[in-house]
Amino acid sequence: MADIKPDETTDFSGKARIEGSVNNARILIVDDMALMRQMIGMCLIRGGLENIHYASDGDEALTAIEENPPDLVVLDLNMPRVSGYEVCRKLRADERFKDLPILVQSASETPEERVEVFKAGATDFVSKPINQPELQARVRMHLENRFLITSLTDFMEGMKRELVLAREMQESLLPETITISEMEEQCGIVIENYYQACFELGGDLWGCWMLPEDKIGVFVLDISGHGVGAALNTFRIHATMARFKWSMQDPATFLTDLSRALKPHFALGQFATMFYYTLNYKTGDIVYAGAGAPRPMIVSDKSVRLLDSTGMPIGIVKKPDYINHEDRLEKDETLFCYSDVLVEAVQPDGSFLGEDGLVKWVEKIVSSGERKSLVSKLLWRFFDGQAESLPDDLTAVAVHRHGPDHDE
Amino acid sequence: MDYRIENSGKDACVVFTGDITFSENVSFRQLLRDIEEIDIDKCVFDLTNVDMVDSAGLGMFLIAREQAETAGWRISVKGAQGHVASMLKLTKLSDLLDG
Repeated sequence: MADIKPDETTDFSGKARIEGSVNNARILIVDDMALMRQMIGMCLIRGGLENIHYASDGDEALTAIEENPPDLVVLDLNMPRVSGYEVCRKLRADERFKDLPILVQSASETPEERVEVFKAGATDFVSKPINQPELQARVRMHLENRFLITSLTDFMEGMKRELVLAREMQESLLPETITISEMEEQCGIVIENYYQACFELGGDLWGCWMLPEDKIGVFVLDISGHGVGAALNTFRIHATMARFKWSMQDPATFLTDLSRALKPHFALGQFATMFYYTLNYKTGDIVYAGAGAPRPMIVSDKSVRLLDSTGMPIGIVKKPDYINHEDRLEKDETLFCYSDVLVEAVQPDGSFLGEDGLVKWVEKIVSSGERKSLVSKLLWRFFDGQAESLPDDLTAVAVHRHGPDHDE
Repeated sequence: MDYRIENSGKDACVVFTGDITFSENVSFRQLLRDIEEIDIDKCVFDLTNVDMVDSAGLGMFLIAREQAETAGWRISVKGAQGHVASMLKLTKLSDLLDG
C-alpha cells in the first residue's frame, strides 16, 4: 500500500499554497505621478510579486477595481479629481470591498493625517519616500493575512456544509413520520417523540418497527460522549441492527447480538446504553431488556412505575448476560423512555434533576390530566429551566396506548 | 473534577471531588498518566465526594480498567452514593470495577 502523505488538499492553511497565492496576487498601484507608479511597481516585482496593475487617479482606480477586483491596493492620497481618501471611503461602503487591503502611501505624514487615513478605511500606512524592504514586507503581510482568512473562511464554510449534510443523513436514521403514523393507526397507539442533538450531530438514536404476531419493537439508545465520534457510531449501530432482524422479537437476544457484533468496533471507553422492548398492541404484553439506559416509566393517570433497565451497556463485553423482563402496558397507559440528559442537565439552581425529580415532574403532569402530551409538557418545563445550550443529546419517546373508548 | 492521589507502598487511592463528565476528559487522562508513573499493585477510586458521573465519565473508568489490566494492577471503586451509585449499578459497571 502506498504511503499517504499530507498534501495541499489536507493542509488547509498550507504555507506553500499561501505563498503561491501571494506571488500571483493582483495588486493595483494608484498614483498620479508616473515615476512613483513605476518605482513602486519595480519594488514589488523585485520582491517577487508578479501581477501588478496601475491606475493614474482615484476615478480610474475605482473603475479598474470594479472591472477586475485586486487582492490589494497601494494608494496615493493626494491625487486630482478623486482623492485617496474618497477612494477608501467608497470602497469601504461597498460590501464587496470592505475587507480589501488598502495600503496608503503619503509624503506629508502628521499624526492627524494618520488618524484621518485610518478613519477613511485604510488598512495600513507607508511613508514617502518609500523604503523598499518595508513596502515589500507590508504588502506581503497584508496579502498573507487576506489569503489565510479566505482559506480559513472557506474551510469553515465547507465544514459547515458537510455537517449540515451529515445531520440530514443522521436524521434519516430516525423513523419517518409516515411510518410512525401507519404504526399508530394500525396498533391503536400514539408515538410522541422528540430528538435533539446538542452539537450538529448527535449520539442518540431511537427507532420503532412492526413485528409479526401483533407486536411492535421500540428502542432508545445513547452512545457515550457526543459530537462527531458518537454520531458515527449511531450509523454503525443502525446498520448493525439491520443484520439482526430475526432476533428483534426477543429483546435480550437482540441486545446480546448487537453487543457481540459491536464490541470489536467500539473504541475503548465507548459504549451505548440502550433499552429495547416489544409490545403486543392487542394484549398490552411487553417484553423488555435493558443495557444501562435510564429507567423507563409506565405511566397511568394515577401512578408512575419504573422498569428495570439494568444491564451492561452495548459494546463493553462480548458476552453480556441480558435478561428479558415481562410486564404489561394497559390501555390508557404510557411507556416513556428518555436519554440521560433530562436527569443530568444542570438546573437553574445549580442542582441536577435526577430520576426522583423527573418522576415528580411526570406525576404532576399526569395528575393534571395531560398524560397524552407527556413529552411536550415535560420538555416545555425542561427547556424553561435551561439557560444555555444542552450539554448532551436529548431523546424522549412515549408510546401512549389508546383507551377502550378510543374512536378508531 | 479534582483528584488527589494518596500513595502508601503498593496501594494507591485516588480521591475525586466534583462531577466526572465529558468535559473532564483531559484531566482524567492526566490522572491516568500520573498513575502510570507510580509502581502499584492496587488502586482504589474513592467516589465519596462525587455527585455526578455521566456516560463519558463511565467510559473513562473503563479506560482506567484497561490500563490496570495492561499494567498488572487491580482497580476498584468505593464510596459511590446517590446518582453515581445508581449509574454504576444500572450499567453493571460496579461488577467490572470491583477489584
